[in-house]
Amino acid sequence: MSANRFFATGNFFTSYREEQRIFRTHLDRGLFILFLACLFAWPLFFDASNRTMLVINNILIAVVAVYGLNLVTGFAGLISIGHAAFVGVGAYTVAGLAWAIGEGHPLIVHWWPLMILAAGGMGAVFGAFVGLPAMRLKHLYLAIATLSFQMIFTWTIKFMPTFNQGQMIPVGRVVWIGGEVGRKVHYLFWYYAILVVAVICGLMVRNLLRSRYGRCLVAVRDNDRAADAMGMHPGLTKVYAFTLAGFFAGVAGALHTYMFRGAGFESFTLHHSITYLAMAIVGGLGTLPGSLFGPAAIYTLELQMEHLSEWSGTFLPDSFNLATALRPLGFGLVIVLFLMFEPRGMANWWRICRSYVKLWPFRY
Amino acid sequence: MKRNRFGYLAVVMAVAAGLACSAPAVAGETYQLGLSLAITGPTSDAGNPYSKGVEDYMRFANDTGILGDAKIDCPIRDDMYETAVSKRNFEDFLDQGMIFFLSYATGANQALAPDFTEVQIPVIPASMDSSLMKASPYIFLPIASYSHQYVGVAEYVAANHKGDGTAKVAAFIHPSAFGRAPLADFEAAVAAGLKLDLVEVVEHGKDLDNSALLQRLASKGVQYVLCQTVQSPVATLLNDAQRLGMTAKTFGEPGKITFMGAHYTGGNDLIALAGTAAEGFHWTTSYRVTSEKGPWTDWQLDMAKKYGRDDKTANSHNYASGMMAAQVAVEAIRRTREADQKVTKETLYETLNQMNGDKVFTSLAAVGPVTYSTTDRMGVDNVQLYVVKDGVFRSVGQPFKPKYLK
Amino acid sequence: MTYFFQLVVSGIVVGSIYALSALGFVLIYKSSRVLNIAHGQIIAGGAFIVYALTVFVGLPIYVSFVASMVITFFLAMSVERIFLRRLIGEPIISVIMVTIGLMSILNGVIYLTPFGSLNYSFPEFLPTTPISLGGVSISWTQLVGVIITALLIGAFSWFFKRSTIGISMRAVSDDQFAAMSVGISVPRVFGLAWAMAGLSAAGAGAIIGNITGLNFETLGAFGITVFPVVILGGLDSIVGAVVAGIIMGLIQQFAAGYLDGNWGLNGTADVLPYIILLVILLFKPHGLFGTHEIERV
Repeated sequence: MSANRFFATGNFFTSYREEQRIFRTHLDRGLFILFLACLFAWPLFFDASNRTMLVINNILIAVVAVYGLNLVTGFAGLISIGHAAFVGVGAYTVAGLAWAIGEGHPLIVHWWPLMILAAGGMGAVFGAFVGLPAMRLKHLYLAIATLSFQMIFTWTIKFMPTFNQGQMIPVGRVVWIGGEVGRKVHYLFWYYAILVVAVICGLMVRNLLRSRYGRCLVAVRDNDRAADAMGMHPGLTKVYAFTLAGFFAGVAGALHTYMFRGAGFESFTLHHSITYLAMAIVGGLGTLPGSLFGPAAIYTLELQMEHLSEWSGTFLPDSFNLATALRPLGFGLVIVLFLMFEPRGMANWWRICRSYVKLWPFRY
Repeated sequence: MKRNRFGYLAVVMAVAAGLACSAPAVAGETYQLGLSLAITGPTSDAGNPYSKGVEDYMRFANDTGILGDAKIDCPIRDDMYETAVSKRNFEDFLDQGMIFFLSYATGANQALAPDFTEVQIPVIPASMDSSLMKASPYIFLPIASYSHQYVGVAEYVAANHKGDGTAKVAAFIHPSAFGRAPLADFEAAVAAGLKLDLVEVVEHGKDLDNSALLQRLASKGVQYVLCQTVQSPVATLLNDAQRLGMTAKTFGEPGKITFMGAHYTGGNDLIALAGTAAEGFHWTTSYRVTSEKGPWTDWQLDMAKKYGRDDKTANSHNYASGMMAAQVAVEAIRRTREADQKVTKETLYETLNQMNGDKVFTSLAAVGPVTYSTTDRMGVDNVQLYVVKDGVFRSVGQPFKPKYLK
Repeated sequence: MTYFFQLVVSGIVVGSIYALSALGFVLIYKSSRVLNIAHGQIIAGGAFIVYALTVFVGLPIYVSFVASMVITFFLAMSVERIFLRRLIGEPIISVIMVTIGLMSILNGVIYLTPFGSLNYSFPEFLPTTPISLGGVSISWTQLVGVIITALLIGAFSWFFKRSTIGISMRAVSDDQFAAMSVGISVPRVFGLAWAMAGLSAAGAGAIIGNITGLNFETLGAFGITVFPVVILGGLDSIVGAVVAGIIMGLIQQFAAGYLDGNWGLNGTADVLPYIILLVILLFKPHGLFGTHEIERV
């Protein structure tokens, strides 16, 4: 242990306890708290437009969802091509209830934090159920099992009158201290709500990874037979990885429903599952910071592509459909290039930066 | 966190008051509009020409000075048929000061309807779902709703069916909000005395072969299939019917099936997809099509040529549809200016609601005048029946208004 | 009874199209253990090339059909060379995601052409009057489709059984190291597998395009639609693809024929394959004819 817990420039751990601290140095903790403070404080100083807030909220919701996906795919190594369906389960827990008891029912608009938790619980239940095939299946076959869950989910929503056959189910404006949250502050209010949830979920994941159960996930991913020999139950571990993923997805889904003031099946299709996977990969599979970078990067990319296509539309001939082609092209290229040249994702850049700063002025 | 609504109102009123003080209809003003639609992704085959129609008409309006020295700025954004993206585009346009919104899909409109009401912005969607008018008083359908088109087809069947007994029909619909939209009104029309026997409602899937379906319908004695979906499934259905020798050569041919459909089932895209199997397909819409020459269609083709559009776009009824949506928006702005009012969301809404009586707006793109009032927010009430003959759509009879709908 | 036989015939027609589409997955998976999610886009691309050559260039449709196969053959081969070659030995998630990224890129490329958002249909080159036999009818398009499918699948089977390259491809799928040690170029085999998958995709695209018309949404979605078929047959068996394709076609037709319209059910043909898929995965994960390679946990 170095004498200085502020500027440790290497590993000085003398016990496992020390190694498992959430923050390695006081500097880390300080920076993290500063970062959080900035996140909470910036809307007070900058008057962001509704559209900006909407995009930021979208990113944060995706962050919560990607926590879950990262647990199951990144840490436990189980490919899930049905994550949007879990998000949909959460969204439809709220929306379905709103459809049954009325969009303005106190349970929906007053007890919304409870509803978000309930949606998480429902997501977890479905996660556990869909995770059952993981007891028997591996790799590709498991991926396809999750894909079929995705398909069955969309079909169910589209055909069941309970869910308004996939049409938009409206959800009322929620009530908070001081009355109803109106249109003017809607996005700001949900920014704070989602931010709080995202931070709590992030700490949950971080703590999970410090615990026996988190290490279990990684062990099963790396070699499930060895994990079995070490006394873990790989099958159960996989099921509970899916359960956790379902929980985070469910929470994200409920936030989505409240923020968009309703749920329709279009937001939970295979396309979205793929986007979540892309976010996890671009961010960095199996890393916590990756869950933050990925959604931010993908959304930024989408917005930039939109700008680029608008700009290109001003001087390109109309018959040339470049503007419409740019978005899928850009999205695909980013995924492919990351996989080919930086398979560890943006989290790896973050790691390199950190270790550079840590050891500065020495190079490793 | 929470600022109350009065604060918001106060801000709006302050802004309105501030604007009112400035001179009305300032020279060289720019009006901010916005269009969010699916140029890629599902239904992009309709969205693409629609966007070209809006774009070209806006350009035309700016070039020819319909609004005097004022200009229109109408950014067009692709939302890939995704509600979340539509919402983002909508908020973005609002931040830019949009005063009139052109929207697209049924789902996105349903999702945004509460926002339209709160922001009080007039909206013209490309979806003609009658439930949208109930969802928000700010949504103005450009033409007859799906229900009108659908019931219009049904009325034609009831009136012209020759065989004995009531005509047996089946509904072939898209498995979505869009597909199911006219069913309730159709059933209400049957209850109200429309002489038809609805045998089965089929929500189709991604079938490559509809033999099973067609033979089942035939065994139940179905003679008319009324479609409310997009062109591709209809094309597959028509191809299969042709193969099984079930397609009626003339309307109501006994023992065969006559296929009919509402707005999005038809158009040149259907002929492009189904080829000769499309012969005898009956279709209702409120737009004029280029295969029936007239002053409008000549103008439409000229416009397409002027702005360098390809043949397919130029002849698409969705191109006309986009043009008309733009026309209505531009006309509302023009009338508001003429009345020496400041052009804002609120005044445009007022102007639209007054488009009735001697103030109806006649767009040649449609088969009837556009009428709006506080109680009727469906533009063109008439529908026109077309039938495919020798590879093009020919009109059947005169435009009419369905009787069995309120 | 005619109804039943008509369902059987339709089921076989649809099934053989499934089989041909599934073949593309199997060819790639068999040699390189990659599941190509972008296959639907290649199918669509193949169909569009046939159309472009026939209508825009003016070649006879049979010539453009073959030309399209040749073009997709080289296109798919270069796709493998550019995107997949670097990823040999990477974890399976990376490989799946690369094909997903590829799907997006191909979408973008197709949106650059008029086919991205406009609809077309092939010029008619076959008689439109159906062949009818005792009330059961089949169109010329479908018949030719089935024949082409049968020919292609027969050719591929022969190729794998008898030709030297085919045998070396089988060797690679059995054991890459052993194959390398006897002098087989594994990367070349991978490239060839993709190329052949591209070729079969062009065939499938042309046939589907003739039946449904050329709509990008419909054609592109086909890659996902045939997934259940691929799994049912086992990912690495050509025979499996054929049998599973026909089984799935029959199941869908029977579902549409006997389930839909009764008990308030609709569109069952769309979801049933996925339910069957889940059941198969639980009880027979390697499919009907696939190699037993799934380990129990």
